[in-house]
Amino acid sequence: MQIPAYLLIGLFLPLFPLSMGFNFVLGRSRYALLRILLLLIWPQIGLTLLQTLDSPVPDWVVPLALFTAALYALRALALRDVGQWSGFLATSAWALLWIAIQGDVTILQLHLFALGFSAPLVLLALLGAGLERRFGAAYTGLYGGLTESIPRFSAILVLVVLAIIATPLFPTFFIMLATVMQAVTLMPLVAVVVAFVWLLWSWAGARLLQGLIVGPTNAEGIFDLNRLATGAYALGLILLVAGGLYGIGGLL
Amino acid sequence: MEQIILLIPGLPILSALLTQLLGPCLGRRVARLSVIGTLLTFGLSVAALWLVLTGQQQTTVSLFGSGVFLLLDPLSTLMAVVIAGISLVVHVYSLRYMAEETGYGRFFVLLDLMTATLLVMVAAGDLLTLLIAWHLVGVLLYFLLGQNTRDVSAYRYAFWTNITYRIGDLPLLIAAVLLYQAYGTGSLSILFEQINTNPGTHQVLGWPLMDVVAALIALAAFARSAQFLLHTWLPYSMSGPTPVSALMHAGIVNAGGFLINRFAPVFVHSSEILHWVFIVGLFTAVIGSVLMLTQNDIKKSLGYSTMGQMGFMIMECGIGAFSLAIYHLIAHGLFKGTLFLGAGNVIHAARGDDGVPKEDLYTFVVERRPIRQRLPWRLMAAITLAVPIAILVAAHWLVAEDYFQKQSAIVLLFFGWITGAQLIFTTYRMQTRNLRRLITLSIFSFAVVVLGYTLISHAFDLFLYPDPAFREQIYAAADFDLFWFDLLIGLIALVIIFGWVITSFSDQNGNHKGQFRRRLWLSFYALVSREFYLTDLYTRFSRALLAFAGRLNLWLRWI
Repeated sequence: MQIPAYLLIGLFLPLFPLSMGFNFVLGRSRYALLRILLLLIWPQIGLTLLQTLDSPVPDWVVPLALFTAALYALRALALRDVGQWSGFLATSAWALLWIAIQGDVTILQLHLFALGFSAPLVLLALLGAGLERRFGAAYTGLYGGLTESIPRFSAILVLVVLAIIATPLFPTFFIMLATVMQAVTLMPLVAVVVAFVWLLWSWAGARLLQGLIVGPTNAEGIFDLNRLATGAYALGLILLVAGGLYGIGGLL
Repeated sequence: MEQIILLIPGLPILSALLTQLLGPCLGRRVARLSVIGTLLTFGLSVAALWLVLTGQQQTTVSLFGSGVFLLLDPLSTLMAVVIAGISLVVHVYSLRYMAEETGYGRFFVLLDLMTATLLVMVAAGDLLTLLIAWHLVGVLLYFLLGQNTRDVSAYRYAFWTNITYRIGDLPLLIAAVLLYQAYGTGSLSILFEQINTNPGTHQVLGWPLMDVVAALIALAAFARSAQFLLHTWLPYSMSGPTPVSALMHAGIVNAGGFLINRFAPVFVHSSEILHWVFIVGLFTAVIGSVLMLTQNDIKKSLGYSTMGQMGFMIMECGIGAFSLAIYHLIAHGLFKGTLFLGAGNVIHAARGDDGVPKEDLYTFVVERRPIRQRLPWRLMAAITLAVPIAILVAAHWLVAEDYFQKQSAIVLLFFGWITGAQLIFTTYRMQTRNLRRLITLSIFSFAVVVLGYTLISHAFDLFLYPDPAFREQIYAAADFDLFWFDLLIGLIALVIIFGWVITSFSDQNGNHKGQFRRRLWLSFYALVSREFYLTDLYTRFSRALLAFAGRLNLWLRWI
């Protein structure tokens, strides 16, 4: 009974190859709202299911979770579609929740960690939808030079990607820090793998940004974000930073 | 009064905010706000240093009662003055230099944020604040180097910098986590106190915790300070704007030396790590200098020169001369910043007239013409032996009576000797009309450098590490086994003697090179000019990894 239960949870807190299920569903979702809901709810279902089990997590889960996180982070390096990229980063990040589960983190904190990983991805899903509206596809290397053609959109995009790849002050940074802390308690080598996954995220993030914002623009006449939308995104990012510093980071 | 340390990074953050918010109203004039903010920051940093110099005790200050702590101590205030000073010069220079560039306001916002982050980094009083600042420096540098968003190659090289810095962030992160797990505190002052009282009980994977943490911190310092194998980004980051190159070479790349100094209490309790630090630094210093000599691009040449200097700085840490490394990074920051900011003028002027008088020195160095007459080589060889001995005796008399017993001082002196010997080799190969003047100048400059280093090292030691017992501990931690120490000194002496034997031999053979020697030399030159193929190797590796990732995606149907 234990193994099937964990396999079911492994669908929502991704464990390879079950992780392919989420990316299949996300890829088939054409509506931005549906993608946002998936990004927000998927790991929360996994955590809720996990609560119903009273047995400790089997030993094979942590290595498989680490493999899943590393595999999707590596695969994200070669992606050009913004939607797929956010799916792979979500898979990689949520897989790391298995490490936090092993430690003395409460279930409420785990839900917050999952939310912390999902929130910037939701913003990226919205921005990806914006790119599709403007160019017909959210694809890196296709148009480039967005800094010149749509500067406000680019600035928000840069900050959102930084939030996803766990740059300091954003909640993802503090979640990764907590994960490394738990990993060291488990075994220092696990911490090294988590750190390696983090490095791959940075690489993937830089590749995504360079494919979108850098280079001469060939997209004249494209409309930028209006002030209201920019303000809304900025507010979202400020809330993320506040959540990181005050909530998860506990610095302030 | 100690709250001043909070204001120091606070001002550039405020300036960045104002520059961003008032940019649309003030246009390009908004940059002046940024300059004023940096000027005030510099003034505050000087005031903080003055406080420490006049007896203010080391204090940890909390940011409005939060978990963010900043340290007011000799190291943080000294570094704050350097960073704020160099940043001020870069700000003023950029006012006109960047005037024609797009994203003028963004540039000053990023410059202010970088200044604030560097100031937080050097004053961080707890592990988390240090980690955040250390990580953010790499992120901000990425965007500063990629200021020109049209330039794809600038971003490519900015990415190299960013990924190397990320590689360096991770060991520091793991070191911080290990320290926190072992001692249960993030506060640096409490942590160092506990390490001093109880250093040896913790282990990681069977190794002493202090060794593991020191090794990880050293790795972080190597990545930040472009040590060999983690250096390839440095010369290529010149695609960024010149003020950013100046700031980077003057205040960012040398953070490795700062980090080792900050964690001095950890290194004191480690066993072999400082020896590895010495070896890596030595190797980088040699390789960086060799690569510098083969460059024909002034900025790239300066980049490799920085690599060599950083190697020397890390090497100084490796021999326990921690405070000397701080002096080195300050001196290097100032002269390299000046060189970068002046590089554009030099290039511009050289296009019209290179300004080099066609005298003996020119024909020897540039035109590679053989010389007609040389100085007596025995005299020059004797000078290379006599000067270090004289300096050693002077140091013994001026600095400390047990100078002969200080291994680190002797190692440094030997490197000074190598530098001096190199100078005298070059002098020997030059033709001169005024023998006495040339020899006097050579000896004088050599003596000033070595003696200056010795005295300044002593002064910095007294300021940064006032506790004599701790100073002794640092040097003791860096002490070599006597056998290896003697071997090293013997080897260096042999290299110099070998140099003179070769010189004498070539002299007698009329400088004729055999075919084998000529081929060997050309192969070596090709290897160096291709930068030991390291860049090619890394590029191939990353391309292979990306291709593998792409293939995986194909196999797994992109889900």
